[in-house]
Amino acid sequence: MTSGRETSGTTPPDLWDPVVRISHWGLAAVVLLNAVLTKGGSLIHVWIGWVGLTLLALRLVWGLFGPAEARFSAFPPNPRAAIGHLRDLVARRPRPYRSHNPAGALMVYLLWALLAVVIGTGVAMTGTTPLGAVERQVAIESADWSTLDLGESDREGRKALEEVHEVAANLILFLVFLHVAGVLVEGRLMRRNLVRPMLTGDRRDTSTRKGRPV
Amino acid sequence: MSGLSGNRRRAGRQTAALAAFLLVQSLAAVFFISDALTDLIEGFITPHLIIEGLVAVALAAGLVFGTVALRRTIEQMNAQAAALQAARGALAEVIEAQFADWGLTPAERDVAMLALKGLDVAEIASLRSAAQGTVRAQLSRVYTKAGVTGRAQFAAHFVEDLLAEGVPGQ
Repeated sequence: MTSGRETSGTTPPDLWDPVVRISHWGLAAVVLLNAVLTKGGSLIHVWIGWVGLTLLALRLVWGLFGPAEARFSAFPPNPRAAIGHLRDLVARRPRPYRSHNPAGALMVYLLWALLAVVIGTGVAMTGTTPLGAVERQVAIESADWSTLDLGESDREGRKALEEVHEVAANLILFLVFLHVAGVLVEGRLMRRNLVRPMLTGDRRDTSTRKGRPV
Repeated sequence: MSGLSGNRRRAGRQTAALAAFLLVQSLAAVFFISDALTDLIEGFITPHLIIEGLVAVALAAGLVFGTVALRRTIEQMNAQAAALQAARGALAEVIEAQFADWGLTPAERDVAMLALKGLDVAEIASLRSAAQGTVRAQLSRVYTKAGVTGRAQFAAHFVEDLLAEGVPGQ
């Protein structure tokens, strides 16, 4: 009796929910700003990093308590399925998934993990509260180096943290490049716009014609 | 139908506003929790820290509650959209059955459906790349078979169905 039920369950949403969209574009902006525009260690760099931490935390909470297609259970990390999906793509027979496809899901988890590494090392270097960075800045400006003086072993540890911070950040940039390329290729092969659901959606509303008075 | 999609847009704006609020709340929570943790690491258990800790816990709890509330709102919206979809499907079935009952030809069905959707003769003609006279003739045959005098009565026939029996198909 009920037709038209096939809209839910087998295809990704026409429009991702606002939390997914905000965290996606927010984190994209954070990565872009801190990788390209701000100076490492500067106050603005640290604060943007804290915003990144917030966005990541919000998205992870959303992955536990959010709607079905945003929850981790909708896109479990599964490397074998990811390879299977890539093979489907090469064969030009990609299957639709209700959330991120397995390759995209793997990308998502990799990016989150690397973001956590970058943010974690950043916090380890600049203090466990955003105010710590402000205090440091004040100390530097008033030329009071006493609070900033590091011992020999501290300096070694800091070097290692810096190294990890930079390597992970560069990996993120590389993955972002792969991610954008993947979206473009898959969008072309599947003949569907994968970007619009992450922006404003509104695909279905334009297909129904406006009724008008008789 | 424009009213319903307008509703959806409004609901979309509402969830977007809720999500933005959730983001601000998370910023506050991250700030307070990190501050409280820092004090805790430094080991000063003071009344100040206790209050700060309480605020941090309250913010975290509020974040989870806000998350769940937003999830519910979004799920409700999706359920409404699905119900609307089902109702549309059911109405389409009712209309198809009625058309078959009246013995409309395939061309007449197309024209009748477009007329129900509110298109005028010129629009139907250009959609079907037919002459306006043809469409007008087809429409009048449809009205005759349906036993109605014109477009208003024709549309009312289906609206009346809906009003009398409620929305079928759930």
